[in-house]
Amino acid sequence: MSYFDRALVVITLVGILTGLVGTLVVLRKRVLFAQALTHATFPGAVIGILLGVSLQLGAVVACALIVGTITLIGRITPGGAGAASGVLLAGGFAAGALAQAFGSNVPIDMTALLFGSVLSVSTTDGVLAAVALGLSLLAIVFAGKHLVYAMFDPEGYRGLGYEPAAMEALLMVLTTITVVVTMPAVGAILTIALIAAPAAAARALTARLGVMLIIAPTLSVLSGIAGLLLSREFSVSAGACIALVATVLLGVALIVGRWMPRRLRGEVVA
Amino acid sequence: MSQSARGNNPPPADETPSELGTVPTIEMANAAFAYEGVVALDHVSIKADAGEALALIGPNGSGKSTLLRGLLGLLPLADGSVKIFGHKRRPGVTEGIGYLPQQESTEPNFPISLRQVVMMGRYRRIGFWRFARASDRSAVNEALEMTGLTARARARFGSLSGGQQQRGLLARALAGKPRLLLLDEPFNGLDQPNRAALLATLRELKLRGVTIVVTTHDLDLARDVCDKVLLLAGTQVAFGPTNQVLTLENLQAAFGDVQVEVDEHRVVIPGHDH
Repeated sequence: MSYFDRALVVITLVGILTGLVGTLVVLRKRVLFAQALTHATFPGAVIGILLGVSLQLGAVVACALIVGTITLIGRITPGGAGAASGVLLAGGFAAGALAQAFGSNVPIDMTALLFGSVLSVSTTDGVLAAVALGLSLLAIVFAGKHLVYAMFDPEGYRGLGYEPAAMEALLMVLTTITVVVTMPAVGAILTIALIAAPAAAARALTARLGVMLIIAPTLSVLSGIAGLLLSREFSVSAGACIALVATVLLGVALIVGRWMPRRLRGEVVA
Repeated sequence: MSQSARGNNPPPADETPSELGTVPTIEMANAAFAYEGVVALDHVSIKADAGEALALIGPNGSGKSTLLRGLLGLLPLADGSVKIFGHKRRPGVTEGIGYLPQQESTEPNFPISLRQVVMMGRYRRIGFWRFARASDRSAVNEALEMTGLTARARARFGSLSGGQQQRGLLARALAGKPRLLLLDEPFNGLDQPNRAALLATLRELKLRGVTIVVTTHDLDLARDVCDKVLLLAGTQVAFGPTNQVLTLENLQAAFGDVQVEVDEHRVVIPGHDH
């Protein structure tokens, strides 16, 4: 398989993954949290490379630390989780820069870490993306209805005898593995574009959750492939092209969604 | 409703006739509930049988919602005992209980249809590992029909009027085929047609042997549909048949300095919406 074919496969896998998990992130209004996670992967990945272990392992550990910190601050200070996400977003980025400076004797491609390097992804990156997608699909198929109930009405879900915090934790895990396996392709900074933009675009185009779960992955894959082709054509950063295409598609969806007949969006007009 | 009238009605499908009328649906003895170690409600001793409706009345913060959450097992029991269907209450065990939280608990504009919301009432039975079956869909259809919302089943939940959303959440609670229904301020903000529709549904449920516990500020509603009233003010002020509990003396004891007017037709508590 050529490097370009491998890049196409990986970007398709992470496109489906970010579209599906992004839909849940957007509906739960957890985009800032996901953004903090994407930046937390940066120092984790740097330290992982410096220690000679895998980039993804370092990123997972960093994400776990960030999730724990945000959860703890959220419990100590009511409403503090949002502020903590914002602060840790910057803090994670700074920690990555510092870690890189301390380990300057190890060559690290900072541009690839920050903006992605989809054309140089390895087979391992592809396998990890496929595993993450499989796990996410299983979670959505079997726990999806519970995730949605807990998001829609946590008090009602609690009244059914379940704990909404368990579903919150599941969403955090799904977001973490999505961020970690997407990072090698699109980078720490641009991953959030693939998570948030296609899902937000789908939200603008339909009033049906099931349809959202089809449109968002489709737009995400479309952004990935179009961005990849554009980057090859103009010899520019693939990650940047992918993020830009996703952003443009979101803009178009917002405009189209605004003028779309309600019936087409799946609204039942009384 | 009289005991004899209840005895003429068919029992719910999952209830044996011998259980009806012999075991109270709710039995609380000197119960107290706490939030994070602080007692929010105490000295509650009540009993409600199948087919009875119990109104929880009291000022804001008097412990009405606390009692519902206590019945659901969401709050620890600080003292006394609580039995549901004759069994000691256990956290997380909600079999046979339907719960209608206050409407503000839902996320507006969520991309989900009314039918999907009502199906949520079946999730306890469906669990994680299986999908909805014909029996689940049939229970959802029945709940929609009972609340008069069949024609709106495909509509996005957030696009419904406040009254329809409230009835939709009631349908969700009914889809689980409850024998005990806990309703938290279900009549808040309802217009007259929706209020009448909800009242009709509650009467029908009583006839089917469902026990209803409803928190409300609406004393007329209590008189209309409830057999018993529990007056609360952080503790039990009075409990018993509606007409015996809703007296001027009891209401003033529960509502403090608020002026209460009582005549044979209506009770007025200024400052509380009816």
